Amino acid sequence: MKKRKILATIVSAAMLTTVFASCGNTDGKSGTKKAKTNDDGSQEITWMFWDDLNATEDLISLGYKQTIDKFNEDYKGTYHVTPITTNLEEYYNNLNAKIAAGDAPDVFIVSPGPQLTDYVEPGVAAPLDDYLAKDGWKDTFTSDAVFTQQTYDGKIYAVPLNTAAACCFYNTEMFEKAGAKVPTTWEEMLDACAKLQDAGYTPITISANTAWCLSMVAGYLCEAEGVDLAALADGSASWEDGKLENACNKLLDLSKYFQKTAGGDTNDVATANFYNEQAAILIQGSWAIGQINGANPDFESKCGVFAFPGVDRVIAKSDSLCMSSTSACPDGAAALIKYFTDDDAQKYTAEKGGKIPVTKVEYDASVAPKQLAYVMDVFSSAKGTFGFYNESMPTTETGSHFDDTMVSVILDGVAPADAAKDMEEFYAANCRK
Amino acid sequence: MSSSKNEVAALDPSSKKKVTPIQVLIYVFLSVIAITYLLPLLWVFNVSFKSKWEIFSAPFSLPKEITFGNYTFAWNKAHLGQATLNSFIVCVVALILGMLIGSMAAFGISRLKWKGSKLAMTYFLTGMMIPIHCVLIPLFTRFAKITQFMNDQGFENFHLTNSLTSLVLPYLTFSLPITIFIMEGFFSSMPNELIECACMEGANIFQIFFKICLPLGRTGLFVTGLMTFIGNWNELLLAMVFISDETKKTLPVSLSKFVGPYNTNYTQMFAAIMIAVIPTIIVYCAFSNKIVDGLTAGAVKG
Amino acid sequence: MDKMLRNKKAIAFFMLPAFLLFTLVLFVPIVQSVYYSFCEYSVLKPPKYIGLDNYKAILSDKTFVIALKNSMFFLVFSCVSQLILGLFYAALLTNIEKGRNLFKNIIYLPCVLSSAALGLLWMFIFSPQLGINQLLEKIGIEGPMWLSDTKGAIILPMWVIAFVALWQYVGQSMMLYMAQISGISKSLMEASYIDGCTKPMTFRYVTLPLIKPMVATAMSLNAIGSLKFFDLIFNMTEGGPNHKTEVLATHLYQQGFKYSKYGYASAIGVVLLILCLAVTLFINKVVKTEQYEM
Repeated sequence: MKKRKILATIVSAAMLTTVFASCGNTDGKSGTKKAKTNDDGSQEITWMFWDDLNATEDLISLGYKQTIDKFNEDYKGTYHVTPITTNLEEYYNNLNAKIAAGDAPDVFIVSPGPQLTDYVEPGVAAPLDDYLAKDGWKDTFTSDAVFTQQTYDGKIYAVPLNTAAACCFYNTEMFEKAGAKVPTTWEEMLDACAKLQDAGYTPITISANTAWCLSMVAGYLCEAEGVDLAALADGSASWEDGKLENACNKLLDLSKYFQKTAGGDTNDVATANFYNEQAAILIQGSWAIGQINGANPDFESKCGVFAFPGVDRVIAKSDSLCMSSTSACPDGAAALIKYFTDDDAQKYTAEKGGKIPVTKVEYDASVAPKQLAYVMDVFSSAKGTFGFYNESMPTTETGSHFDDTMVSVILDGVAPADAAKDMEEFYAANCRK
Repeated sequence: MSSSKNEVAALDPSSKKKVTPIQVLIYVFLSVIAITYLLPLLWVFNVSFKSKWEIFSAPFSLPKEITFGNYTFAWNKAHLGQATLNSFIVCVVALILGMLIGSMAAFGISRLKWKGSKLAMTYFLTGMMIPIHCVLIPLFTRFAKITQFMNDQGFENFHLTNSLTSLVLPYLTFSLPITIFIMEGFFSSMPNELIECACMEGANIFQIFFKICLPLGRTGLFVTGLMTFIGNWNELLLAMVFISDETKKTLPVSLSKFVGPYNTNYTQMFAAIMIAVIPTIIVYCAFSNKIVDGLTAGAVKG
Repeated sequence: MDKMLRNKKAIAFFMLPAFLLFTLVLFVPIVQSVYYSFCEYSVLKPPKYIGLDNYKAILSDKTFVIALKNSMFFLVFSCVSQLILGLFYAALLTNIEKGRNLFKNIIYLPCVLSSAALGLLWMFIFSPQLGINQLLEKIGIEGPMWLSDTKGAIILPMWVIAFVALWQYVGQSMMLYMAQISGISKSLMEASYIDGCTKPMTFRYVTLPLIKPMVATAMSLNAIGSLKFFDLIFNMTEGGPNHKTEVLATHLYQQGFKYSKYGYASAIGVVLLILCLAVTLFINKVVKTEQYEM
């Protein structure tokens, strides 16, 4: 027995030493990768994305595929791009794993906000200012403001490809029959919902199961109350100052008009409720245009868009591409990113994808989905943009916590004051150091 | 078991061919159970022929027209054929190696006489309690480092990451504890005389293992083999993290392809699920009857 | 013969492959994981030793408490339900002849299918507007929100998932019991029939004691399986709504892979590991594994 114990101790001690010894050198980033060359002499570039380009029906993703095919054709013999795709759920996990293994993709997509910060701070993403300055690339963009969310310490670390805005889509036919008019203030919004309900329609379809959908509405309501996320992050403001509480109360008022199954419906189902004409209003990002028109083409003529009432600014989100700082082929990577913002790609973005282009490209508005023009109106009449709430907080986890807290107010009957207290506690523990 | 039943029935002639009310009850009950097992699958089968719009408006009715559009889309676009092949290669290699290495160790523990055998058993058994999630990160970085090291040494084509080998190794290893656990039981229950006899006839230890013990333990091998094969066939987490190359993805990973960033192609996903599931069911039916044979024939002879 | 069984080379031949694989691919990474649990480590930044901070954080983590409670619920539920139902099915099936294989195959079928795929299927069936609720609506009942109701001590989604898990995995327990029952020598059964035992009595006094070792095995497998439980929850609710259906494995996954907190996730993993060890030891103590001569 004794011998066994001794043996076990020796074995485990030996293992511990090997492990700890090997832990010491895990931080060694191996510097620049060796360039990979293909048989035809072209340099290999990898591009990582969160949707399978061969299986997808998403029009924006299909546009990306066209761009890559075009790039491979144009640079035949010089560069060759291989897309690496995962589904969205596994994307960051896979990307992190590859980076940790010293196998970072040359170009990868990232959401602006804390996700991007995660790659900028440890130096995974390379600054792109030098490339943007070349050949007047930067001048093709609509304004320097499109880079706001991608800029850290004055340097640009990612290039936005397109912008989507969160709006209220509505069924014009239902509005007409119910005698509701398009709301511009909060009171009018509740009034319109009440009229729709009286007429026997479900006023709003939303998903509380997919937490960010509900949180998007909460974000608008917080904005209307004047919540200042920056001040909250540095501790100069408190979540318990009543603003969040008011926003939650408004959210509760609005929730009376949600479809009965809002708590369980996923984003897909909530959107389907709208284009299958089972509900009058859908609060969603404008990326849903492709989905709505794709699923029910007849619906395009009945679908209107208005800005979230009572708020001056609009929530905007852009797909952004980063370049790896360890890329073996930075020139090729930059050339690839540039292809995503060339006229062809941007035209496609507007005309087919229904997203707002980031460059000054001229596109044929008559070909583009009707809703895009409405979204553009919303966008241009807004006094500015702000990011998704859950993507504007210090960490991804904080954003998720905000989403969950909003869901708990709607679903579990958590009192708004308690929700505010909970957020304050979370910030105190995790965000202010 | 079925043979013993027959003999019991033979002992008691009155019970022959008489269906008792209890048996009727059992059959009715089992039929209800069977329906709860089959209905959901039939439902997916039904849905996989529908259009995207129909799935929300009329999910339970029969499809208006049977189209194979979802199937051709799933098959062509999601590389399901390649994925099935990959899954098959990974699982078969892991299965064969796992059974061989596992039963060797089980034999070594249960039959060979050495001091650390009990300790070794405990060591292997702890593996059954280890969740796969715990080894994911260390394993991945380790594989990556080995790959990098080998590439630096001039072995440009050496890939441990993003290769089927990177799946075989952990799959194989995680199948060892259960294989050893069950096979150890089988080998221990074999009579000593068997080995003594073989020994007297001049067989060496390898012949005893490969020619006598392994064939006798085939019931156990079937059970463990099936369990590990299924586990690996359906494993998602490791496959998703370790493999990013399109042509090396396994089946469960391919199924999740239809979940896009903002919407999901449900009908095509269900078609893909059917493509993945139907061969499994066919193979299972054939294979599972063999298991029944194994269970009855292999019922301990001593 | 004794000499042959003590041959060092033979022992090495039989033991070494398994030992090396097991140590390098499983044990070393586990030890490494334990080390990470004392570190602040996100995959993009190297691990930094921070002592017990991760474990202190676990204690004040509300989601962890929910996850622990849910895991315990699954553990108890699956051990009890699989034991009863698995044995019941095994007993029923050994009592019929015609169609036994058919029924057995059907019940075992979900075990061979991908639980990721089945999870998606059940999510659809239990979704608020489609599936079961649509059928209930036809007979005038408003179905509950199967996967997002949050009332009660053990919330409805947990019961739903637990029953789906039972549905899927009971075949495995059943197979284990049937394998053991078919291993019972027929002379023993015959002897008990000759002694005047009825079928239920034989089951109670002959079969049951003889399959007791298998009960311990099946139960430990169930227990560990339910602690590791991941696929179904991940595909049916993803831990939602609001982390109410989170279990340890999904919480670990979320912390580790969604928020890149590898150190913290490793600490959850270590807790999970300790739980697995403790539960197995407990079951093996309680269900004594006496070996009968069969």
